[in-house]
Amino acid sequence: MRNNNLTILVLFFVSLFFAQEKQTDSVFKKRVLEKTEVDFLMSYYTQDGDHAAVTGGIGTEKLTDITPTFIIAVPLNDDDVLTADIGISAYTSASSSNIDPFDGNQPGSPWIESSGASAADVWVNGSFDYSHSSDDRNTVWGANLSVASEYDYFSVGFGGHFAKLFNQKNTEVSLKANVYIDTWNPQYPAEFRTGFIPSAGYTTNYTQFDNLGRNTYSLSASVSQILTKKLQASLFLDVVQQDGLLSAPHQRVYFADKTDYFIDNFHIADDVERLPDTRFKLPIGMRMNYFINEYLTFRSYYRLYTDNWGITAHTTEIELPIKITRSFAVIPTYRYYTQTAADYFSNYNAHLSTQKFYTSDYDLSKFNSNQYGVGLRYTDVFTKLKIFKLGLKSIDLKYSSYTRSDGLKASIISGGMKFILD
Amino acid sequence: MKLNKLKIGFLLAIIITFSLSSCVAVKEYEKVYVNDADMKLTANKINKFETSFQVYREAASGANGGKAGGGCGCN
Repeated sequence: MRNNNLTILVLFFVSLFFAQEKQTDSVFKKRVLEKTEVDFLMSYYTQDGDHAAVTGGIGTEKLTDITPTFIIAVPLNDDDVLTADIGISAYTSASSSNIDPFDGNQPGSPWIESSGASAADVWVNGSFDYSHSSDDRNTVWGANLSVASEYDYFSVGFGGHFAKLFNQKNTEVSLKANVYIDTWNPQYPAEFRTGFIPSAGYTTNYTQFDNLGRNTYSLSASVSQILTKKLQASLFLDVVQQDGLLSAPHQRVYFADKTDYFIDNFHIADDVERLPDTRFKLPIGMRMNYFINEYLTFRSYYRLYTDNWGITAHTTEIELPIKITRSFAVIPTYRYYTQTAADYFSNYNAHLSTQKFYTSDYDLSKFNSNQYGVGLRYTDVFTKLKIFKLGLKSIDLKYSSYTRSDGLKASIISGGMKFILD
Repeated sequence: MKLNKLKIGFLLAIIITFSLSSCVAVKEYEKVYVNDADMKLTANKINKFETSFQVYREAASGANGGKAGGGCGCN
């Protein structure tokens, strides 16, 4: 069934390359990017819930995260653009702190965050993209490189992309391939570390993971089409294969058929999460935008996702940008998401020790979520406000509230300023 | 993992829609509406942080014109 669907889609994308009418655009050549653009973005995210994966499906999920980011796009000449996206994500996590719940000043408990070293971390990311456009601007190709690092994870990624425009630039077909070579520096729960003195009679299934690498191979195809003077849409298909250590080594699991042992109020784990070492993902998405009038635009997105871990998910999102004046816009948004559970998921203390794979990570459980948001945007077409040589082009601010049917609640405030270098 | 008939129908409907419309050509001087900033067929840059937390908190990812996986210890 999967092969049939893939065959249909591949034939569709290939046919677009050969079925279009001959290009008739003029030869006028405009710079792909007129001036250097600088985006400074930042977000503040908070969440809380009662199903922390680190403590086997119970316990606090309290987390805060702040993420300053720069995106700089530099025109190298008329045809070439170099883009750098550099950011950090500094977070504090109550559940991560309970990788070792006994290194704080209070009795260990999944409901109380510890004050140990794993309570906070910083994720640093840099990605760089080079793109070249042909003289007629109907062909764009490029390459990218990315590096990301945090205390227990390191990633190097690279890839290439190619896009072709047809039909008087009414149709765009693009292909993208990426590889990520990632490595875990596993931080196992405290009870599995050398020197931990267990309760009398305590036994465990735990063994360390041999393979600490995780590779991700993704192939993406998309088609964008202008359907009418006011309507356009795009279709996205990703084929993703992952292999290696797909479990999170710090996430505990408890077995129903094993005796429970506690230190303070903390349940000592029977094992860490064990998931298959391969995963095939197939997301298909569609975006459709309609220009209603000069004040209102309708933006929509839908995604169907399926993988070989038993998860099927649907995502629907609607945005309604409302231009109040030529400079100000209000953008209400709504997003609905639903997913089935992974085959390997069970609640806290519900797995059996005879199972091969198991997780109590509620991110892999059955749930649905609702996200409401509102954004504000100020645009200055003439970049009148200057900061040194940078002219302010736009300011964006957005707040979103997210609730998940398992009780997780989150909110995020995002802000961004775009500057043009004179 | 198996897609049911409804999902296949959805895919075919999309493909037919795109195939038929690929014969239509809106001229450059008629693109004032589709060239509006709000008509971009990509997510706004400011949404990148929301996409990032959704990748951690949900099992699904990809098919949004951005990264489809890798680079983080997330799902």
